[in-house]
Amino acid sequence: MAVDEGPRNYEHPAYDYLEQMPGLSLAMTTVDKVLEWSATNSLWIFPMATSCCAIEFITAAASRVDIDQIGSVVRPTPRHCDVMIVAGTITVKMAPRVKKLWEQMPEPKWCIAMGSCAISGDFYRDIYSVVPGIDTVVPVDVYIPGCPPNPDQVLLGLQRLQDKIRSQRDGVSTEPETRPETAKMILPANKRVGDPDRDPLLTDAQHDASRNLGVGTNTDRAKDARPIGAITEDEAANVRGTVDDK
Amino acid sequence: MRTFPARVDPHFDIEEYDPEADLMALNMGPQHPSTHGVFRIKLFLDGETIVKAVGYPGYLHRGVEKLCEKLTYVQITPIFDKHDYVAPMTNEQAVNMAFEKLLGLEVPMRARVLRTILAELQRIASHLLWLGTFTLDIGGTIGGGASLMMYTFREREMILDLFEMLTGCRFHYNTHSPGGNRHDIPEGWETAVKAVLDAIEPRLDEYDALCDNDIFLVRTKDIGVLPPDLALELGQTGPVLRGSGIDHDLRRDAPYHAYDLVNVKVAVDDGCDCLARYRVRVAEMRESLRLVRELLTMIPGGPIIGSKPIKSLVQFKAAKGQVYVGIETPRGELGTYLIGGGDQRGAAPYRLKIRPPSLHAVAAVEYLLPGHMLSDVVTVLGSLDPIMGEVDR
Repeated sequence: MAVDEGPRNYEHPAYDYLEQMPGLSLAMTTVDKVLEWSATNSLWIFPMATSCCAIEFITAAASRVDIDQIGSVVRPTPRHCDVMIVAGTITVKMAPRVKKLWEQMPEPKWCIAMGSCAISGDFYRDIYSVVPGIDTVVPVDVYIPGCPPNPDQVLLGLQRLQDKIRSQRDGVSTEPETRPETAKMILPANKRVGDPDRDPLLTDAQHDASRNLGVGTNTDRAKDARPIGAITEDEAANVRGTVDDK
Repeated sequence: MRTFPARVDPHFDIEEYDPEADLMALNMGPQHPSTHGVFRIKLFLDGETIVKAVGYPGYLHRGVEKLCEKLTYVQITPIFDKHDYVAPMTNEQAVNMAFEKLLGLEVPMRARVLRTILAELQRIASHLLWLGTFTLDIGGTIGGGASLMMYTFREREMILDLFEMLTGCRFHYNTHSPGGNRHDIPEGWETAVKAVLDAIEPRLDEYDALCDNDIFLVRTKDIGVLPPDLALELGQTGPVLRGSGIDHDLRRDAPYHAYDLVNVKVAVDDGCDCLARYRVRVAEMRESLRLVRELLTMIPGGPIIGSKPIKSLVQFKAAKGQVYVGIETPRGELGTYLIGGGDQRGAAPYRLKIRPPSLHAVAAVEYLLPGHMLSDVVTVLGSLDPIMGEVDR
């Protein structure tokens, strides 16, 4: 790749990947580095936008935050895109569509779960029609917490994904360390995609059914679940305490 | 007297349509960038003309009403934030007004005026978001592509900043509680509101340039004509009803908050089409600006939450009976029907039924679309301004 050897009047990340040869108007690089640079700086987004987080995601793409500054543009079709951002609650009725759209995206592809509904189901988690976290349907690379996350956190999440892609290409593992005490809390009852414990013979619909009926892989969850409408006296006292303090 | 074309029957059997015609069934949604959420419409097309349209809601059904039966009264407010996520302020107000009516709580005057200001600011923010996405849907009307969306989101961010000053949150505020508001007005807030109003007002004039744009007129005029009788029959409220020429606004007809202190001028347009709905919303934004300016001068002193705040859940437990409260949100009449739980239910309501204006708005799609072209689907759906969180609940 030919470059001008004169002094640079501006900085660009691309220069980090080029090695200039003294005396020649040439720069050397490797295909890997160019691919890495182009993969991280043109993350086209497919918005799987369903509810509240969708509005904050649009705001992130609009004038103030403008995720276009790191090369991310929003495209309406999965076939153009590298990243799927799941923004909002995913219901049992919607989950097969999400999976189908995910499968239509070309490789390499990544997924970001935006907001607490997409991560865990939030307070709709116990509801019969809500999927407790999108990672039971598609593999997720980056989680952006918040209800909803601020638009600038969307930008931060995309930058985290860039870091992850770079380290993936360098062969560094990026699997997060999960503390044992929180593992029970954050792991959804349905086994995630890629989990060795997940029964390969069960389809997603069967996983959903087992969750709702409280059988199969979901006995622990069903045990802890309480009937809708029930509230213990202790809980009532807690709520009362917070009001009294005020 | 204006005559309208004959009403279409949305339930007619597609088999009875001309057997010679080469019909095509087309699914739009649930994932579609212009359906404003996860709404699916099944279209039967003859060439490019729509013969029949069937709407399928339910892709965002989160069981909100059932969830409310599980939670205590003070825990329900944040759920209502997520219910209509474009106008969370007015939704909180609706459910808290129902609680206050059930419990017989008095709201102090300062909180009532503040709630009115917040409701009107939220109306501007909601309509700005609608305007941006609507022009994005119909594509390149002024300046091409996403220009107007960028402008309206700039103004919407200003209003969200005001809410952030007041409550600490950009989006889901949880600032209302039974008996008053949680957050008092911070120092300098009124000045900031005035500055934002002054910034927005001239920009609304710039948006009015839309009305002079030929492309915009062709795409919206006489598209999606909703006659007044059909609008009433389908239970439309808000800008959709007023865009059909019916003068109805709960802020003036059944005043709540501090709306009895101000004179609300209701915007009505008898065009009955998408253009009329656009004009009504722009006029409402101007009226809201005026109302906020007027209300800022009449904020009284005193407490922001009732002199007898909720001290114990016993008060909630004792709450029995049933109430209905309807308020005018940016999308129309949001009704909350509440049955107190009494002793059996702990401090949770026995039943909480929501009457969402958006559900009635999307019900009109099946009547409005037949006879139009495929490209008019997003125009008609966008002009109704449905929020799917509210439709599916």
